Amino acid sequence: MAYSDKVLDHYSNPRNVGSLDKSSQEVGTGLVGAPECGDVMKLQIKVNPQTNIIEDAKFKTFGCGSAIASSSLATEWVKGKTVDEALQIKNTEIVKELSLPPVKIHCSVLAEDAIRAAIHDWKKKQDVSKPATVEAR
Amino acid sequence: MRWSRAGRAATMESMTVEVSNPVATASCWSCGEMRVSQFCHACGKVQQPLPVDYFTFFSLPQKLEVDVGRLERAFYELSRKLHPDVYARGDAREQEWSLQQSSLLNDAYRTLKDPIKRTEYVLRLEGVELEEQSKTATDRARSTGEIKKQVVPPDLLEEVFDLNMQLEELRAQKKLGEDDPALVEEIGRQKLELEEKHGALVEQLKARWKEWDKAVDSGSEEDRRKVRDGMIDLLNRRNYIRNLVRDVNEVLEN
Repeated sequence: MAYSDKVLDHYSNPRNVGSLDKSSQEVGTGLVGAPECGDVMKLQIKVNPQTNIIEDAKFKTFGCGSAIASSSLATEWVKGKTVDEALQIKNTEIVKELSLPPVKIHCSVLAEDAIRAAIHDWKKKQDVSKPATVEAR
Repeated sequence: MRWSRAGRAATMESMTVEVSNPVATASCWSCGEMRVSQFCHACGKVQQPLPVDYFTFFSLPQKLEVDVGRLERAFYELSRKLHPDVYARGDAREQEWSLQQSSLLNDAYRTLKDPIKRTEYVLRLEGVELEEQSKTATDRARSTGEIKKQVVPPDLLEEVFDLNMQLEELRAQKKLGEDDPALVEEIGRQKLELEEKHGALVEQLKARWKEWDKAVDSGSEEDRRKVRDGMIDLLNRRNYIRNLVRDVNEVLEN
């Protein structure tokens, strides 16, 4: 199977590889995996609390070229978007952009999952930090 | 192919008993009598393969707890009888069918003999495609806006991620010819732990077999679903760990 030029580009020159401070209030972390191939993908976002805009995104993926390219592209796409806009990103758009073959669609699913998981983690942190919802246990 | 409820409940006591599932019976091409899966029970001629599941092929009940000795005996007996050499001077149809039957026999045996493959096969007969799990869950998450339930538990994902980080480091060190013995030892220790975990998961899976067979017998949909989901979870964890151990071995051996 041949990878598309865009996959190869992201694979050999991945954008935004790295990590953000997991404990920071402004950072959401998504860690997802696909058991069928053993891939694991971590995607982190840093959100501006005033504007809800994703100002930075980092990823680290262990997996095939398509999984790396999908997550690399995902970090590019979420940057500059608001959290709600980023939630609209669908795996099919990633498939289209990277021309992924059917057997690699699960890689794009993983990238969408990672975005959702990161945003979910960030939202959870915002809820907990609101004084009203902090209760004595 | 899906089994009807009646077909699933049918038990087949021995190799020579006529099976009660209508799918598994048809007329012999040669003498017109009713036949069993591979041979006509009346004239003994080899038959064109029927679209039956692997359990029916071996005249075994569709259960996860398999009498492996019986399976093995049936395999060797059928291997002998179906061997294409036996039909070398036979009818062209018999030659073709014995070849098809032999290949089916090998697939069926390999699948049912292996505890993991057998479980995956039974789940497939149930309409569960392990590869589809993740996609379905994502669709659900998207439409409900809820967080997707990961098919792999978070604690295992953390472990997989961290070990992959260490493997990457070791790969880089090896490239420079400067592997850190402490890191090699640490990874080796984790590998042993993973192998232990793998063994435990397979044991847990086997423990579910009895429950599954019981749920099938009792006809309780709820029990069936519960056991099925438990088995899917165990298989997913197990596949993850298997892949990870494979990667670790690759790095350590290079």
